[in-house]
Amino acid sequence: MPEYIVEENALKDFLQSISKGRVLLSPQGVGDKCQITETTPDKVTLNFTNTHISPKTLFFPQTEWLMSFQKDHSKPHPYVYQDLGDKAKSAVVFGIRPCDAKGLSVSNKVFQNDRFTDPYWKGKYESVIKVGLACKDPFPQCFCVAMGGSPYGATGLDVLAFPSEKGLGLKPITDEGAKLLAEANLKEADLSSELKSQEEAAIKAQGIPDDYSPIDHRGLLNLFQDPQWQSIAENCLNCGVCTFICPTCHCFDIQDEENSEGGVRMRNWDTCMSWLFTVHGTGHNPRPSKTERVRQRFMHKLKYIPMKQNGDRGCTGCGRCVVLCPVNIDIRSVALRMSTLNMQKQA
Amino acid sequence: MFNPYLPYPVRIAEIRVETEDKNLRTFKFEFLDPDDENKFAYMPGQFAELSVPGQGEIPIGIASSPSEKGHVLFTVNRVGQVSSYMHNMKKDDIMGIRGPLGHPYPLDTLQGKNLLIIAGGFAVTTLRSTIIWLLEPENRPNYGKITFVYGARTPGLLLYKDEWMAWDKRDDIDVFVTIDREVPDWNYRVGFVPAVTKEVCPAPENTAALICGPPIMIKFTQPVLEEAGYTPDSIIMSLENRMKCGLGICGRCNVGPEYVCKDGPVFTLAQLNQLPKEY
Repeated sequence: MPEYIVEENALKDFLQSISKGRVLLSPQGVGDKCQITETTPDKVTLNFTNTHISPKTLFFPQTEWLMSFQKDHSKPHPYVYQDLGDKAKSAVVFGIRPCDAKGLSVSNKVFQNDRFTDPYWKGKYESVIKVGLACKDPFPQCFCVAMGGSPYGATGLDVLAFPSEKGLGLKPITDEGAKLLAEANLKEADLSSELKSQEEAAIKAQGIPDDYSPIDHRGLLNLFQDPQWQSIAENCLNCGVCTFICPTCHCFDIQDEENSEGGVRMRNWDTCMSWLFTVHGTGHNPRPSKTERVRQRFMHKLKYIPMKQNGDRGCTGCGRCVVLCPVNIDIRSVALRMSTLNMQKQA
Repeated sequence: MFNPYLPYPVRIAEIRVETEDKNLRTFKFEFLDPDDENKFAYMPGQFAELSVPGQGEIPIGIASSPSEKGHVLFTVNRVGQVSSYMHNMKKDDIMGIRGPLGHPYPLDTLQGKNLLIIAGGFAVTTLRSTIIWLLEPENRPNYGKITFVYGARTPGLLLYKDEWMAWDKRDDIDVFVTIDREVPDWNYRVGFVPAVTKEVCPAPENTAALICGPPIMIKFTQPVLEEAGYTPDSIIMSLENRMKCGLGICGRCNVGPEYVCKDGPVFTLAQLNQLPKEY
């Protein structure tokens, strides 16, 4: 598939064209933070690092009403839950970062797993065309390369956009992306060598990546039973901020709310850092202390998900949790400790 | 698109108080739409989310057998918000069930084998389903000797009395029901499940054990079976963990990389030996 070029002053026309009949979503400033939200072509900027919270909110809102019921016996179906639908809107997102797109593709395999499909996720995820924006200059918190990704990675994207000498370069990734670009009436250009040299430079700019591959080779129980989890968890406050801003954290709680006329069933983001997350009705809790809960988060990202998703990790190196953790727990140093054959010796 | 979160509406057709402490009730549900019964095609060992509109959902093992047509049975212990609410519901009230969820006992691969079925307390529910199914005339010839060990603290805490008393009179299943301490007018066994198992368990050759019970019972029964020569892949257990979605998505019931809801709840001891003990 050919690449395309959008000259600098033509960006607005391009965005107009690809958002025809669709909602345009793009990172927008909210105070001193930015977040992907509905916008118009004239407000789109390429001048941002990454969104404060991961774009998972687009497909997996923090609170989502799933179904509702009514209690009036003179009306149809009293006390029977009715689906509220996925509320999907045909949209194009412009400016999603490769780490986030890859992270959402990991979650996609959980929401559409080997046995069940989550219709609320699927409807929204699949009705959004994803145009990613490559990261020419890495940000201080970035480590996508160490996690097996690339600042120019295309996993989970339909189109990869990147800043080219001549304007904005566009590389179609999927058939849907190719169709989107073909319909936008753009100038074709062979940008493959520029793309390749840019990617190499961007990878190099992240420095020599840590090697976390020993985690893949260590046995599950060997890693799980390592005594170092206690010291890794020592500082943790179980505040859960890491899980809320993470592009691959997808855990949720389901709750009912009712009044005299009826009620709704909703799902809300939940966090494995909470004691309540796993406690049984009997009071028994398989993850009773923060050590088990911190271990769960890192094992889930770096061992369980790779075991289930052909080696793809549940961390894509976006760096949000590294920046926002109030006690400076750094997933890179945890991954390094997990990579050490005998974590005890490293203490 | 099929929505696995949307419960099938059901009517409570019957409520039976099962135990003398009144903490366990068996609910008989009938589907409001008869077609839903076909969609809810299940096998013994699977569970469902019982859904009370406005209250929430609880994952409960299916106590009825697929061979019992026209209704499904669930025995519910009064523990939390939803189960307590259910204990105050009445016949003909409308609620929902969502499922079937999880994997059943591997009854197809156990054909030709002897079965040792061990239950403790109210964890007997899915094993009731299993035994009813096994004793069906079209299924019984496909299996060898069936031995059923069932224990509870007192006679009043044993579920499904009429049924196991009837099984006890049959000659195609050996029934050993036991209580912890002797009481007057008790004509069955006295002693803990592990001790009774030790006494009555069949030879391990060509035999599989299905175990469901409280952790303390499993803890002491497992060594008895291993001592008797049962291999880890012939000991089959059913796990419980806190659940919400039941679909392997919401993330709380995992034991290592496996979700109890989607990949279990039935696991062999051989599988569990490879997994962290987070249950």
